Amino acid sequence: MITCDLLVIGGGPAGISAAVAAGKAGLKVLLLEERERLGGQLTKQTHRFFGSVAERAGTRGIAIIKDLETVVAQLENVEISLSTTALGIYEDGVSTALKSGKMIKIKPKAIVVATGAFEKFLPFENNDLPGVYGAGAVQTLMNIYGVLPARRILMIGSGNIGLIVSYQLVQAGAEVVGVIEASPKIGGYLVHASKIRRLGIPIYPSCTIKKAFGQDRVVGAELVRLDEKWKEIPGSQFTVDCDAICLAVGLNPLIDLLGQSGCQFKYIPELGGQVPIRDESMRTNVPHLYIAGDLSSIEEATAALLEGELAGLSAAKQIRPGQSLEARMEEVKTHLRALRSGPVGEKIRSGLSKLTGEALPTPSPRTNAIDELSRTGIASPANLAGVLPDEKRKKTRAYAVIECYQQIPCDPCVHNCPFGAIKPFSDINDLPIVDFDLCTGCGQCIGRCPGLAIFTVDETRDGDRAKITLPYEFLPKPVREETVDLLDRSGKCVGQGVVKSVLNTPKQDKTTIVTVEIHRNLVQDVRQIRVVQKS
Amino acid sequence: MNDDKTIVCRCEDIDIETIRKLIDQGVTSLEEIKRITRCGMGPCQGKTCGPVIAREIAMKTGQPMEEILSPRSRPPFGGVLFQEVLEGIDDEE
Amino acid sequence: MKNKASVVIVGGGITGTSTAFSLAKRGVKDIVLIEREGLASGATGRCGAGIRQQWGTFQNCLLARESMKVFENFQEVLGTDIDIELKQKGYLLLAYSEKEMDQFRRNVEVQHQLDIPSRLVSCREAKEIVPFLNTEKMLGGAFCPTDGHANPFLATKAYAKAAERLGVEILMKTEVKAITVVNDRIKGVHTSQGFIETDKVVNAAGGWSAQIGEMAGLHLPVYSERHEILVTEPVNPIMDPMVMSFSYNIYCQQTPHGSFIMGYGPQNEPRGYNVNATWQFLETMARKAAWLLPPLKNMRIVRQWAGLYNMSPDRQPIVCESEIVKGFFMGIGFSGHGFMIAPAVGTLLADLITGSPLTWDVVLDLGRYDRHETIAEPSVV
Ligand SMILES: Cc1cc2nc3c(=O)[nH]c(=O)nc-3n(C[C@H](O)[C@H](O)[C@H](O)COP(=O)(O)OP(=O)(O)OC[C@H]3O[C@@H](n4cnc5c(N)ncnc54)[C@H](O)[C@@H]3O)c2cc1C
Ligand SMILES: Cc1cc2nc3c(=O)[nH]c(=O)nc-3n(C[C@H](O)[C@H](O)[C@H](O)COP(=O)(O)OP(=O)(O)OC[C@H]3O[C@@H](n4cnc5c(N)ncnc54)[C@H](O)[C@@H]3O)c2cc1C
Repeated sequence: MITCDLLVIGGGPAGISAAVAAGKAGLKVLLLEERERLGGQLTKQTHRFFGSVAERAGTRGIAIIKDLETVVAQLENVEISLSTTALGIYEDGVSTALKSGKMIKIKPKAIVVATGAFEKFLPFENNDLPGVYGAGAVQTLMNIYGVLPARRILMIGSGNIGLIVSYQLVQAGAEVVGVIEASPKIGGYLVHASKIRRLGIPIYPSCTIKKAFGQDRVVGAELVRLDEKWKEIPGSQFTVDCDAICLAVGLNPLIDLLGQSGCQFKYIPELGGQVPIRDESMRTNVPHLYIAGDLSSIEEATAALLEGELAGLSAAKQIRPGQSLEARMEEVKTHLRALRSGPVGEKIRSGLSKLTGEALPTPSPRTNAIDELSRTGIASPANLAGVLPDEKRKKTRAYAVIECYQQIPCDPCVHNCPFGAIKPFSDINDLPIVDFDLCTGCGQCIGRCPGLAIFTVDETRDGDRAKITLPYEFLPKPVREETVDLLDRSGKCVGQGVVKSVLNTPKQDKTTIVTVEIHRNLVQDVRQIRVVQKS
Repeated sequence: MNDDKTIVCRCEDIDIETIRKLIDQGVTSLEEIKRITRCGMGPCQGKTCGPVIAREIAMKTGQPMEEILSPRSRPPFGGVLFQEVLEGIDDEE
Repeated sequence: MKNKASVVIVGGGITGTSTAFSLAKRGVKDIVLIEREGLASGATGRCGAGIRQQWGTFQNCLLARESMKVFENFQEVLGTDIDIELKQKGYLLLAYSEKEMDQFRRNVEVQHQLDIPSRLVSCREAKEIVPFLNTEKMLGGAFCPTDGHANPFLATKAYAKAAERLGVEILMKTEVKAITVVNDRIKGVHTSQGFIETDKVVNAAGGWSAQIGEMAGLHLPVYSERHEILVTEPVNPIMDPMVMSFSYNIYCQQTPHGSFIMGYGPQNEPRGYNVNATWQFLETMARKAAWLLPPLKNMRIVRQWAGLYNMSPDRQPIVCESEIVKGFFMGIGFSGHGFMIAPAVGTLLADLITGSPLTWDVVLDLGRYDRHETIAEPSVV
């Protein structure tokens, strides 16, 4: 029987954060992770994270994990047990786990469960054909084992996961034939949608999959349009060719381990389905049992880190009373509230109010109506007009165009302008506003935006030539003086341009910053380049 | 594979028609469906099929999801070999 | 919901549903069965569902034999198309002492009076039946090839469906909260859905039967005890019979689906209603199983759970009408073997309720404890 103060189950961001907080508060902590490395979902996330800079947003998921690993490794009183699967939590407070071919028993004083979530499944005809994958499996194959699961992929679901995995598939060399979405608007952040639209990937809102075709593996799919009541529109079926179908239709909290612990649950779709009941300090109805992260509600890494810290601190407070942890706990709670305060946090807020029975906080003033952008992922001229400087300013110096039109909890841009030209946020959900008097068009912000939504435009020169600088995350990288195709917001080729500079130092961390000389008429259309196949 | 099938439970290979027929016959609890079809009794313990079946029941009967989805998960999650249990027995016990 | 019933049955396990069916089949109308959760959510849905005819008393052999006849002809008797997955590959009982062997010898004699095809087996014969059986320390055993196993959920479901077809109203997610008794007679039942007027109640509440007794002002001599069980992932069929030992304290069988189900009788288990599983059970079970049936070592346990045994003083069922409260019937105290005899128990309760002579000459009343006539069944786990 192993004893410790705190047992943390799950080594994703939430679990690590709980272990670190409790470890710093002097607890003897044991952290169990089923896989052979820490990081949870983050180990598969090769993209830059949106979220709060204080919680490492703007950094790639894989890099965030490296940081966390370093922090946790420095704490001597935190023991990490990898390749260890928790099997059960029993009524006597003992947890069992499978480690190196042995069922070990652990008796801690408190437990934080942070087992994350698992993917939802979608019933459609022939969904048992080889070639139907979950997004998680695709990411594992692609980003961990370096195997491309297929060549032509249909993505089901336009939440952040569907959008991001589509982007990663293209990075890995696959073709994404489309992203379909049952709801009339795109589910994920619009910056992620725009990112794949300009690669030419169509997004079909109000559309679902009816069946997969194929004899012994997927060769295509039949799709159907839905009306505003989510009913199939007769005769609206259409087919696409693809050799894989990737399901990204949401996550459910992984509550299994809590099943016989006495912990109570509530079905709250806004939080991901059946979720454990817990208070604001992440304590469940069972004494000494805490939860954090996607297990408590399907959210983001920032929330998982904060909830983990809160759970770790709550446990520390209970096991070792007398430490002054309240101040930090309050601070974390404030952070979490701020994170969830914007329009995209609406769902989580209403879910949490169902959980705690609290009244809803006052709704945020601005909400995201279903406009053209949220249906297509393509910004309209009206959207664009709101973020450009006036004609006079355009002529004097280069300037940044931040195509971030949706309030999401994300702030790396603000923290990365050397000139302070992006107005400080009062709330992490604020939209970035550029002070064009301060902006020099230096482009430092471009590579820091997790949404790849920042471009700089230089139209100061006379004549018909202008320059656009944009982020580029594909291989092969362009070289100076190379002619590249210019793509607009829908991925259509609108002309060619000549590469004038390629910035690809370690600081860029693989987001190459490319400046292209193009026709001045195209500066507000071109948002992507394509390297023309070298023969 | 010529007959088009919509699989609900991948562990036990159960299709949605089987489930719908049962619901029509008045078998409207997850637990009952599980017992009759073995849906959810495979290695995943109903993680994937549970919500799908619950939604079918909700659609056909109008019962609220939270009443349908009562968690009755049973350890050991992911399973454990007898051998592994034996290896872990503490000597002093 | 009816507000008046001729009989209210409390409990939707195998006992309650088989009783409902037997009663309805005799033409009794206006029967209501009340179940707090769902069908077979109590011990029935959690049990090993072994069916054994190798008992030590004539009465038990009779009940089991008669019940097996029903299980064997289930679809015909019930008029159902539900297949209860009956498997008749026998029970192999193991003996570890001369005393145990002698007992088996006597039991087999009793069993033969009822044409139960049991026989004593040597260790070598036992190994022919289960080749990987560890016969170390074993002296021999007994085997009955027609013993077996059925799917308890499907059996309950089939009884419930057949009863409903005959007019029985089954209310699920409905709890019996109180029972009105006036002048020692049943007057009605208060449920979470309202009051039902009736003069007959059947207590088929399994592990909770003492509580139902209290509601009628009766102190029934039964209590509940947690028994644990586990199941492995399915493998190819390798073991035909249920393997069971009273002294080594284990039962283990392979279901038609391929998974192994097993358990043992707990020591020092406190009385109560707790049905949480324990990690200690896994360890003890693993030790026992790996020693007796070595290939099991490499099998994967996928689920463990527990259910309640409703224990009576002589570990034998109590099937009777209360002598104190008229109209209060009970089928309780099955002490771990209520599934296998449920068809017979349903018939007996129907006899009692309709005032007919008992179909079989058995003594299962409560009064036997006062008369000091407890049933001396030698072969219980
Ligand atoms: C494609 C994709 C893109 C995303 N992009 C972003 C983004 O840009 N920004 C952002 O903020 N968030 C993003 N997220 C969300 C973010 O990854 C999750 O919210 C976060 O990882 C949740 O952390 P967690 O610790 O709760 O769970 P997880 O990261 O899922 O970690 C849970 C861990 O528990 C372990 N575990 C489970 N069961 C057991 C057991 N029985 N025993 C031992 N260990 C166990 C698992 O192996 C896993 O390592 C993205 C998610 C996905 C899938
Ligand atoms: C682990 C285990 C293994 C077993 N193995 C075997 C075996 O191999 N062979 C065998 O023959 N027997 C076995 N048994 C015993 C067998 O399961 C029981 O004897 C039998 O199932 C009892 O059935 P029942 O209908 O009387 O009770 P139950 O199945 O317990 O049914 C009682 C029902 O009453 C309901 N109820 C209780 N209170 C109320 C109320 N107030 N209002 C409404 N409803 C109420 C409950 O919800 C429950 O569904 C085993 C038992 C266990 C626990």
